[in-house]
Amino acid sequence: MERLPLFNVRVIDLSKVWAGPYATRLLGDMGAEVIKIEAPGSWDLTRSLSLLPADTERAYNKAGYFMEYNRNKLGCVLDLAQPKGRELALRLIAMSDVVIENYRADVMEGLGLTYDALRSVKPDVILVSMPSHGLWGPDAGRIGYGTHMEQLSGLVSLSGYADDVPRKSGISYGDPVAGMTAAAATIGALLHRRWTGHGQHVEVAQVEAILPFLGEIFVEYSMTGCAPPRRGNRHRSMAPHGVYRCAGDTFDKLSASDSWVAIAIENDAQFAALCAAIGRPELARDERYADVVSRYRNQDDLDPIVSEWTKGRSHHEAAAQLQAAGVPAEPVLTIPELVVDPHLRERGFWEEVTNRESGTWTMDAPAWRFSRTPAHVRLPAPVFGEHNDYVFRELLGLSEEEIAALEREGVTSREPVAGQDT
Amino acid sequence: MPEGLLSEVTVLDLTEGAAGPFGTKLFADYGARVIKVERPGTGDPARRVGPFPEGCDGDAGALFLFLNTGKESITLDIATATGRLMLLELVEHVDVVIEGFAPGLLDGIGLGYDALLQRNPRLLITSATPYGRSGPYAGHLATELTSYAAGGQMSLCGDADREPFMPAGHQASYQLGMHAFGATLAALYSVGILEAGQSVELAAMECMAATLELYLPDHTYVGREILTKRRGNIISSTLGIFPCADGYVGVHIMARNFASFARIMGTEWMLEDERFSSERNRLRQHDQILAQVYSWAAERTRAEIYQRSADERCTLAPVLTIPEVLKQPHLLERGFFRQLDDPRAGPLTYTGPPFRPGEGEWELRPAPRLGEHNTDVYGELLDISSRDLVLLRQAGAI
Repeated sequence: MERLPLFNVRVIDLSKVWAGPYATRLLGDMGAEVIKIEAPGSWDLTRSLSLLPADTERAYNKAGYFMEYNRNKLGCVLDLAQPKGRELALRLIAMSDVVIENYRADVMEGLGLTYDALRSVKPDVILVSMPSHGLWGPDAGRIGYGTHMEQLSGLVSLSGYADDVPRKSGISYGDPVAGMTAAAATIGALLHRRWTGHGQHVEVAQVEAILPFLGEIFVEYSMTGCAPPRRGNRHRSMAPHGVYRCAGDTFDKLSASDSWVAIAIENDAQFAALCAAIGRPELARDERYADVVSRYRNQDDLDPIVSEWTKGRSHHEAAAQLQAAGVPAEPVLTIPELVVDPHLRERGFWEEVTNRESGTWTMDAPAWRFSRTPAHVRLPAPVFGEHNDYVFRELLGLSEEEIAALEREGVTSREPVAGQDT
Repeated sequence: MPEGLLSEVTVLDLTEGAAGPFGTKLFADYGARVIKVERPGTGDPARRVGPFPEGCDGDAGALFLFLNTGKESITLDIATATGRLMLLELVEHVDVVIEGFAPGLLDGIGLGYDALLQRNPRLLITSATPYGRSGPYAGHLATELTSYAAGGQMSLCGDADREPFMPAGHQASYQLGMHAFGATLAALYSVGILEAGQSVELAAMECMAATLELYLPDHTYVGREILTKRRGNIISSTLGIFPCADGYVGVHIMARNFASFARIMGTEWMLEDERFSSERNRLRQHDQILAQVYSWAAERTRAEIYQRSADERCTLAPVLTIPEVLKQPHLLERGFFRQLDDPRAGPLTYTGPPFRPGEGEWELRPAPRLGEHNTDVYGELLDISSRDLVLLRQAGAI
């Protein structure tokens, strides 16, 4: 097998929850050896979001959220707040390339793990810090989650139905945005180190990372003095442009289905194709819909006509028929639909992964698809402390007695301290 | 010019629209040389997406100005015989080609990946498209809306009794663009290990389907469909967006944040009460907590709430408008937003670096006019004289 892109790169992952772990998941997918550090009394809190029955044993090793975003990593338990833990962490960092953390801005300093401290044991180390508000500035002491990043960025104020309140997206969007940004930043720093021999301290302030995802809106605002209004699914010029209710597989025929097809008409040819496909070819010759501008003005009249057609078929049928006619259309796919989606299935996007304590289930494969070095889920997410022996014995060369002493002193453990995140 | 983080890299950018250009903008702003190949005459369609600066001839809309900072623009019709040969020659001078064409298009004009790699065996080719280069949907027509619909994130946006919606901007494209940037960097790193080039393929649909938070694994693992339904602004009693005295406030309270939240709401008694003593118990008191959060928020301003959140180290944030974001003291002190004097539009406000390197600069330079760098690029890399450029232009190749 060819070597994966980040072959021979070792990452010490101090990050928790989603943004940081998603960054290190991407690095692990690309072949880096990622060692995730948790402390006996301070696990990754996604271990507590298992949504499993209350009497589930060792639920922290079975939480789907944790396992989804910590695959392709090793797990080691080490309390950095204890002098012995810090010393071992520094020894580990001395034989690593990258350290990633998403603590509050002052935590690494409190642990005595500043960039300078890391550099003293590993001169070309790359430290990637991704605190929610960055390492400095008036808000550096704040904490925040991915939901807050989209609220603070302006995205929420711009999003939602036209006649209604600002809307959150469906996920903690700031987290994957910061995570993919931090992964790219890390690889950029690794390249820079290859070219110059220098390591560096990279700062990913999550409140900043999301802002370029709205970049054109800030340019627009400075150009016109206005930000765009909330438009729902409507577009600034295209019409029809929206999602239309389709027939679904509801058990009772009375309740409306929750299946939708997204349709976006970019030009006259697509509009003519839409009209023909829905059996209303005469509309393409109607002067009320003759061009982009008139369709935009009269879209309130067009939308019910499109809905009238879509409600008679499933969203898959509607999209397939429209695509065949030359119209951009796609079902609004739900999560259960994605998992059985023929396109993703044929592309091998879903892999079966056997987790240590939670059985075999389906997981998305690495989305970065390399021709010579295809990546896969090589490792399930670690159960708590799973790779303690690898780290302490093989990497750090500790003896059985020394490891036993660490366990007695609570510097490491094989089970988490009870009562976390309840 | 200062040395950029990625100054060693030269990218030949065949993309247009939003997704690919966002990825290559990241390269350019971090110092890579990005040569943007545009169709002669019309150029990147994003040029004609408004609003436009006053007095501009309609080829420098805000979207284009944002997405193409720091790039060099050349015109080239790669579908012509001459254009094809010039592209193959250019490929010898670059590290990366990024493209977002429909699958099969490059093969059809004799510029398939094999042909490119033959000209430059260490070349990296990145494909960034809505659905990827293979599979039943590979040939689908796509727009921002339809691409976002296919990735699963849209099904989670909106109220249960209304239609799903797409958040503002180009979120499907920019997620794809950022992944294309990261994956291309990984590919560049691999060249030093494999001593050979390769291609990397990204599909927006897959990038988005990989980031469905706990909603995807809860379904794939436990088989439930409860969390796969959209739930609007209120996800739970302590996770959502609530109306407050002067707007909206975001509340996201995990177990470890509950005590500080109770103090902020003035309901410290909850911390002594067994019924509120764990996440599971609090779930049973959902309605009471929800009513408490609504009534607490309704009487307070965003500024008040955000200040209390800082004091108590809690996890609350205001919903800010665009002008408010621009005035945030934190971002002002950090100098995040940058003014750039665009030669066509005058001073405009741009977002700063998505990450701040400790060494290797990030720098903003204006987006190019169509074909602005024809003389420089073709002269320097292909040794074509100005006189020959005129002939090539007349022949429609550039």
